[in-house]
Amino acid sequence: MCLDDQILSTYLDNELSEPWKSQVEEHLGNCPSCRTRFQNLIKISDAMQAAALTEEEIAPRQDRVLAMIEKNHLAKKDRKSFLRRTFKLTAPQLLGVAAAFVVVFVGSWAVFGNNGSINSPILLQDVNTTIDQSNIIQTRSSDNVTTAKSLESYSLDEILKNLDARGYDVDIRLKSIQPMSLDNIGTEVKVIARIKDKNIVITSDGFAKNADGTIVATGVKLDAQKRIVASDGTVIFPADVVIVEPTATAGAATATAGAVSAETTAQVAQAAGQAAEGEARTDVQTPAVN
Amino acid sequence: MEIRSGDELTFRKVYSEVFPVVMRVAYHVTYNQDVAEDICQDAFIRFYDKDIVFPSMDDAKFWLIRVVKNLSINHIKRKMREAASLEKVMKGPQVNPFRDGASELILKESASAVRKAVSELPEIYKTVIVLREYAGLNYKEIAGVLKISESNVKVRVHRARKELEAKLNREEVNVP
Repeated sequence: MCLDDQILSTYLDNELSEPWKSQVEEHLGNCPSCRTRFQNLIKISDAMQAAALTEEEIAPRQDRVLAMIEKNHLAKKDRKSFLRRTFKLTAPQLLGVAAAFVVVFVGSWAVFGNNGSINSPILLQDVNTTIDQSNIIQTRSSDNVTTAKSLESYSLDEILKNLDARGYDVDIRLKSIQPMSLDNIGTEVKVIARIKDKNIVITSDGFAKNADGTIVATGVKLDAQKRIVASDGTVIFPADVVIVEPTATAGAATATAGAVSAETTAQVAQAAGQAAEGEARTDVQTPAVN
Repeated sequence: MEIRSGDELTFRKVYSEVFPVVMRVAYHVTYNQDVAEDICQDAFIRFYDKDIVFPSMDDAKFWLIRVVKNLSINHIKRKMREAASLEKVMKGPQVNPFRDGASELILKESASAVRKAVSELPEIYKTVIVLREYAGLNYKEIAGVLKISESNVKVRVHRARKELEAKLNREEVNVP
């Protein structure tokens, strides 16, 4: 039985595996008809090779296309890739780069961060210890999350540690700051009134505080009719529950105040809510001197 | 050896090795050297700009062959739609059937007849026979480039040869 053309074609391409390859070879040796058909296939293949694009035809085009790509792509990519290039550095090079950044940072700090004079003492700004409306910052507790860190958000201890770590010899002197004492506060803030049966005091700086000193309302004041009113004039406590105490100090007043019942706290919280116009929670930050 | 197509040195290496192969593929599908040159340029620019990592030189070559094959097929389809005559592309004498003798001279003279016959093959036969004869790929590699099975490649190569044989024999008959 003779070989079909597909087997011959596969054999021609050397894609026939054993044992078929040997069988085909053997048959071609014995069968002139198959041999002729196989030779025709070889001629087709040879004719195709003879018709192939020659290397002489390819070479000039290969050079031309490469020149075009070199001009428009290879060079172009080199130019634009500077920022995207990954820098491969050895350890000493990396140290050098790091050192350069430190020099630039310290240098700029010396020039801009300390008015150009590293040796001058670092003066802390005078701190006004008076607690009044102007230096009380009212915030919501959620504000702290988004507030950016400024110098004020570091404690003096942290600042000193930081400067020490950078090699600065820091000499701290307190100027115009008196040690804080109850007397000192007492001269400034007084309890001006108490609320009958409720363990709440009203201080001269406009706060309503309960027995443990927690501020439950702000911006309140004692009016001429001896009523406690909010800043918008709403009467919080009528005159018949207000006991005016012009002489007591804030410290003494809170110290003498008794325990607060849950019921009272709830009521005052409600009052505070009205006073602060819907602000359910009111935290008060007082200036601290460390 | 890993091949990163966007690396200039690697690109140059692949280019010098693969350009002749893809140029032949593009030419023997389109039978227009200028078009083939443009297609190869396009393919190599894509190759470089895409910055692909190939496991080996062969994988990079197969990628380029596939792109060039597709661009070439697209070109001839477009040409056919534009009803452009392939005769314009074919140059030189179209006589002297090669089977009169096996001498190299005669084979060369018959080159245009072979080119014409190949250009007239249906696309599915043309691509396999071009990849086999002009890109030198084996059946497995052709199957990979065209994403068809090896046995399919085997059948198509065989049918392409049968068609070419028939066309070239007809040419012979037509010569007075």
